[in-house]
Amino acid sequence: MAASDSALWDDRAKAQETLLALADVKEKIKLLADFKTQVEDAETIVKLTEEMDAIDGGLLEEATNIIKELNKALDRFELTELLSGPYDKEGAVIAITAGAGGTDAQDWADMLLRMYVRWGEKQRYKTRVVEKSMGEEAGIKSATIELEGRYAYGYLSGEKGTHRIVRQSPFNAKGLRQTSFSGVEVMPLLPEESMDVEIPEEDLEISFSRAGGKGGQNVNKVETAVRITHTPTGVTVRCTEERSQLANKIKALSRLKAKLLVIAEEQRASEIKQIRGDAVKAEWGQQIRNYVFHPYKLVKDVRTGYETSDITSVMDGDLVPFIKAYLRYKYTMSSTTENLR
Amino acid sequence: MRLGAPTDRVKLKVGIRDLYSLWRRRIEERRPFQYIVGCEHWRDLVLSVQEGVLIPRPETEILVDLVADAVVSKVNARLNDRVWADLGTGSGAIAIGIARALGSGGCRKVIATDLSSVAAQVASFNVQRYGLQDIIEVREGSWFEPLKEFQGKLTGLVSNPPYIPSMNIPGLQAEVGKHEPRLALDGGADGLDDLLHLCHGAASMLRPGGYFAFETNGERQCKFLVDYMENELKGSFLDIQVVSDFAGFQRFVTGFRQ
Repeated sequence: MAASDSALWDDRAKAQETLLALADVKEKIKLLADFKTQVEDAETIVKLTEEMDAIDGGLLEEATNIIKELNKALDRFELTELLSGPYDKEGAVIAITAGAGGTDAQDWADMLLRMYVRWGEKQRYKTRVVEKSMGEEAGIKSATIELEGRYAYGYLSGEKGTHRIVRQSPFNAKGLRQTSFSGVEVMPLLPEESMDVEIPEEDLEISFSRAGGKGGQNVNKVETAVRITHTPTGVTVRCTEERSQLANKIKALSRLKAKLLVIAEEQRASEIKQIRGDAVKAEWGQQIRNYVFHPYKLVKDVRTGYETSDITSVMDGDLVPFIKAYLRYKYTMSSTTENLR
Repeated sequence: MRLGAPTDRVKLKVGIRDLYSLWRRRIEERRPFQYIVGCEHWRDLVLSVQEGVLIPRPETEILVDLVADAVVSKVNARLNDRVWADLGTGSGAIAIGIARALGSGGCRKVIATDLSSVAAQVASFNVQRYGLQDIIEVREGSWFEPLKEFQGKLTGLVSNPPYIPSMNIPGLQAEVGKHEPRLALDGGADGLDDLLHLCHGAASMLRPGGYFAFETNGERQCKFLVDYMENELKGSFLDIQVVSDFAGFQRFVTGFRQ
């Protein structure tokens, strides 16, 4: 209706937007119409074979193929619908941090690291652990994984949050059952050029690791680390993977921009300036999944309710059912809110 | 991560025995890691370094940004006259950094000087490696000696001179005190000998409106230099600033020739 309204053309930008949305919807309708036709074709063939006395193998095969292709196409269509966020197509960066629980939590973080690396490899992403900070006794304090490949971010974005483990801790002197936590953060792996966003210097708090003593010529250093905080929102990124101050600063800024862009998208803010800082803080602590090793075996996602007792496969990187369940859940949530607008 | 098959081989640059002796030197003699691998990552560069050449410091990375900012905002010379000097260039780090940051549009030539012939060789090697031999000229000699022809004509002057007080040298971290060249570290009794020489040199070598930036040992030296320039060299400079490094120490003194 809007396209035929002559007043539409008064605002070129709005007109362009509406036309693009229109083209999008038209394409979807065509796709669905195609699906419908194919279903009808298959139906016709089945009816034909029912009416005929002899079963025509060739016809049945045709029907089977139509249905097979149709299923694949439907899966792809559903996936594109589920992964339609602006960054879903990109690669991903996962940052794991051991939470409360001491050495047990650090070992838990290490287990999560392995789980995601295994998932990445199974899904055939180029998976690299770019940073790893070892715990004093065991496990890791933190680690960062980069996964290159299409849709890594779309699949992994639901992994963001706190993961909780319940088990008989090998690090507990009495072998008691213990609960530990680890935080997982996911950011899109955006190529530097694609981030058309400038963050004003005054909004950034940049600090580097100190040399100790007077610094400069007095000291020989091999490591450098940068921490950048976006003061208005409190979002912080730490980078220690690169080998010079400048390189770490560039990478940290890049990660920070990616994080902010995602948060802006989630909050439906059209600019980074509009991000609500309090909402950012609240999200970080969200518990999303429980992994129980003892006294029974269960992994349960608290958002979707999806659960499995095959905890071994999950820890070996078998996350597909959890991811799918979350994507569907997210889709349902967003389309409900759309309808409520 | 994954355990490879027993037939997987790990490739090493150097044999195990040699690796072990290199490691021993690192641990027992505190030989700097950068000298062992022969290079240092600095800004977006990989620079060759060896005994006899100061290992570029992370703090010094900012010097290049200070120069780039100054050129953008203030330096006022015709393009084809822009000659910069990096004094005590060591590995050539600063010279290469500013040549790349300013580009052919920002400077015509960078003269990098050093008293040490080892440094001059290493700097030349690094300059070649980055293909900047048409922009950067390495000259062996003491401070401004090799630059006489540019008196009053330099667009910019940068330096990370030796600034550690002589008596502090024995107490330095072993990697520094026992392995890096004393020539690059010892700034005399209060560490200011070379810095003061540079201030005088800046007054005579820079063109009007020319820019200088020096790295120092910290707040005391920065304050002293600012004071010295405003009083003993009164009328020579304007817009004298002290810039802190990333750890919050006052580290650099910058300004313009009047």
